Amino acid sequence: MTFDEILSGGQQELRRGTVVLACLLLLRTPGYGYALLDQLRDLGFSVDANTLYPLLRRLEGQGLLVSEWNTQEARPRKFYRVSPDGERHAAALFEDWTRVDASLRRLAQGDDA
Amino acid sequence: MTTLTDRYVWAVLRALPSRQRDELEPEIRALVADAADAHADSATPDAAERTALVELGDPDALAARYTDATRFLIGPRLYPEWERLLKLLIPIVAPIAGIAFAAVGWATGKPVGEAIVSGLSIAFNVVVQMAFWFTLVFAIAERTGASYIPATGRPWTPDELPELPAPDRLSLGEAIASVAFGAFVLAAIVWVQVAKPIVIDGTAFALFDPAASVWLWYLVGLTLAEILFALALYRRGRWTWAYAVANAVLAAALAIPVVWLIREDLLLNPALVDAIDAKTGGGWLEPTMAITAFVFAFIAVIDSVDGFGKAWRTSRQVARPAG
Repeated sequence: MTFDEILSGGQQELRRGTVVLACLLLLRTPGYGYALLDQLRDLGFSVDANTLYPLLRRLEGQGLLVSEWNTQEARPRKFYRVSPDGERHAAALFEDWTRVDASLRRLAQGDDA
Repeated sequence: MTTLTDRYVWAVLRALPSRQRDELEPEIRALVADAADAHADSATPDAAERTALVELGDPDALAARYTDATRFLIGPRLYPEWERLLKLLIPIVAPIAGIAFAAVGWATGKPVGEAIVSGLSIAFNVVVQMAFWFTLVFAIAERTGASYIPATGRPWTPDELPELPAPDRLSLGEAIASVAFGAFVLAAIVWVQVAKPIVIDGTAFALFDPAASVWLWYLVGLTLAEILFALALYRRGRWTWAYAVANAVLAAALAIPVVWLIREDLLLNPALVDAIDAKTGGGWLEPTMAITAFVFAFIAVIDSVDGFGKAWRTSRQVARPAG
């Protein structure tokens, strides 16, 4: 394995959980699958379509998202939006993320001791 | 004309449990269409569709993520068929076996309670046996289905999408069910003859007349032929007139000798017949065997007609170009 391959594996592992958090935060405004994928990519989350769509369904199954078919436009689309449970979940995850971020910063600067 | 999207959607849905299919189909179609739209400015519609499908990736992988399933004994491709068959067959076969065994026990003089208990225990055994053998056959099919394992290191392309099935294309599950049922019949024939499960007053009896062992071998051979027929039929993919004729010949080859053996009193073990006679005072044999003969003949006729009916429907579909 080359350095780059190992690096991309490490990045993938590091970002895995953050996609869930990003989805929950983004979907405070209702959105549909492909648009969400686009938004995430614009924000620099490299997520595959075949990971994101099943993930949305799983979050819906867990009650963190709710969905609704929008038939107003030319093509019917399934819109997802975060549920109250999902908001609480996202807040807790975000708090955790900031804690981890702070710890890592301290470690990287070496003034932890 | 079927589009690549149709083939893609089918390839994903076939690996999902049936309750998820109706729900996911419009969703996946919408996802493909949205992605294709996004590429529509810079490409022909066909190329945009291809790019959209490549983005979604291998349909088996997508389906596996939707089902959240890791491949264990039976993977997502076969699991729905396995579940469907067990749900279909166990509620039919287990009660029939249990009631039949309880009835025979009661007819041979067992107290009612004991007869019911023996029926329940047989029904339970049938459930366990069927679940085990079906699972074993499916697990083997899962591991030998080499075409399913994606070639590693090579990116998936839409060219690998399977064709949509012809409306009457035989499912893999049907073929596996036929094979498993044949294996079950083989095991049952051997079991009632060798293990002598019928016990009357402490004596164990084989079900069939030991003098008719030539015919038992014939039945075993015929069951093997039925298994080979099911495999050949699956390879062919659909019913044709030739297969319908072969099916009718096999059905006749089973029913005619069985009815003849019953008529000539050559099928059942005479010692068993005497023992039951002694218990019940006789009179049970003729009506029972008449019903059995009728059932065999009836099933043979229905099965043959069904084969010709399927061949006829398929021939009509082939005459018209597939939709």
